[in-house]
Amino acid sequence: MKLAEGMIAPEQLLRLRVEDLLTREADLLDRWELDQWLDLYTDDAHYYVPPSDVDGDTASPDTSLFYIIDDRTRMQERVVRLKSKGAHSEWPRSKVRHLVSNVIAERTDAMILARASFMVSRAKDITHDIFVGHYRYKIAEIEGALKILEKTCVLDMEALRPHARISIIL
Amino acid sequence: MNLATGIVNDAASSRFLVPRKAFTDQELFEKEYRAIFNRCWLYLGHASELPEPRTFVTRTVARRPILFTRDKDGEYQALFNACPHRGAMVCRERNGKAGAFMCMYHGWTFGSDGHLMTLPGGAGYPEDFKRDPQKQMVHVPRLARRGDFFFISFAEDGEDLDTFLADAGDYLDLVSQHSATGMAVVGGTQEYSIRGNWKLLAENSVDGYHAACTHSTYLDYLKNANGALGATPLSGSGIDLKNGHAVIEYSAPWGRPIASWVPLWGEEGKQEIEAIREELDKRLGSERADRLATKNRNMIIFPNLVVNDIMAITVRTFFPTAPDNMEVNAWTLAPPEESDWLRKYRLFNFTEFLGPGGFATPDDVEAIEKCQRGYAANNNDMFNDISKGMAREGEPSFDDEAQMRAFWIEWDKRMSECEG
Repeated sequence: MKLAEGMIAPEQLLRLRVEDLLTREADLLDRWELDQWLDLYTDDAHYYVPPSDVDGDTASPDTSLFYIIDDRTRMQERVVRLKSKGAHSEWPRSKVRHLVSNVIAERTDAMILARASFMVSRAKDITHDIFVGHYRYKIAEIEGALKILEKTCVLDMEALRPHARISIIL
Repeated sequence: MNLATGIVNDAASSRFLVPRKAFTDQELFEKEYRAIFNRCWLYLGHASELPEPRTFVTRTVARRPILFTRDKDGEYQALFNACPHRGAMVCRERNGKAGAFMCMYHGWTFGSDGHLMTLPGGAGYPEDFKRDPQKQMVHVPRLARRGDFFFISFAEDGEDLDTFLADAGDYLDLVSQHSATGMAVVGGTQEYSIRGNWKLLAENSVDGYHAACTHSTYLDYLKNANGALGATPLSGSGIDLKNGHAVIEYSAPWGRPIASWVPLWGEEGKQEIEAIREELDKRLGSERADRLATKNRNMIIFPNLVVNDIMAITVRTFFPTAPDNMEVNAWTLAPPEESDWLRKYRLFNFTEFLGPGGFATPDDVEAIEKCQRGYAANNNDMFNDISKGMAREGEPSFDDEAQMRAFWIEWDKRMSECEG
């Protein structure tokens, strides 16, 4: 279909809407606005980080040992923990910067599927670690707004080295 | 009494002090490789990782690249993963199945038992060149198994594996007995580094004293998560398993997929857990079954194998790359026959506490890294205090430090016996 001048194709609009969502998420995480970050997710959401020696695009947390297997309850508890001074690994808080790019989005019957590349920098004390990988999102459209159903952070790294931890939210 | 390495071990005054130099000194670090990592039995892998003939995994053990294979007859082989020709690493994959391994440099090709099968341009060499013992991949001097746990030793001589393991052997057997058919490594390895001395992780892995402070947020989480916590209190003992191995064995309020139910798992889960318990009782007798099901164990096998049988099972090794850095690998074991539901809970349970993304391990890492930094403060003149429980009558509590003292006494013995 040829679009009139100034119009935007639906698939481009979808990508822009997803990019807005991902940019907002990155910004909230960088500013440690973790309660607001949770609001981007549905009540039955999941957050996963598979290890480097399985195919992170296809591995299941039900059958492989992951780094992170969070359901919504554990995501909330993760935020509670990270806001506490007793989360020693993140106290004082590290400086975090999420760079998100190469966003691809497609609409299926049930949901929106999106992928994006990321580099996440964590600096604290004498350590400065870079996490590199790609996100796989499942996104729901609820009353016209986009909410995240599932986020999987696939590390494009051979091991979590020299890193020792994923104590921030990727 | 002052031990050879400067460790103070004085029962009369309840003093056990470890010089901080043990964590920072470059010469001691090199000596640890000579005295400990080149002499002790070291964990290599689990039988379930090589399920059939011609399967292989590659691994770095004590800085050396190792190729762990089963040959065409199904025999287990541990080879140095280096070509006898020019030394290039022969197998460059993590794991897989292969009838032969070809070195990418000049194409020398080896069988899964390491023998030289073919080489290009053979006419340029003497006739019997291929059979020259110097032209075969080299076997690690010793390979032995305890149950399905495989160990290697870089020393040609020394005590056999069972003698080395001493009382820790039966604790390894206990882990294997979680399943009637043999435990299996679940896919997925946690591989990370910690910027601290390796012995700090050995201590931390069996430290029952630090939980309340270091892991306060984890304990809060358990209280918040509805039904994740049973009524069982934390209590138990620290046990010296000889030869530097030690364990803390204790009851705890969290659920164990091997037959300790918590309300979070629901009624259906309860029935499944009860059935598992019944099978354990029948197979092992009620005393051993009860211990297996209800007690948690954090075990260190000297020098660097940790087997924690807690809310899930983790098998963890760690090797120093420098006095202030180590590389950690962690796997999890599970009974192959367990239901999809229980497997899912087991993995969910594991990641709750353990590993770089868990609610507890990152704070252990923080403690280890901050110890290492703190050691720079006082020019190595200071000592770490490992005396908790020395003054106590009766058996050591799980939150005493007897298990760490067992580790350090073995460390001292091996370091002071090693000449050069």
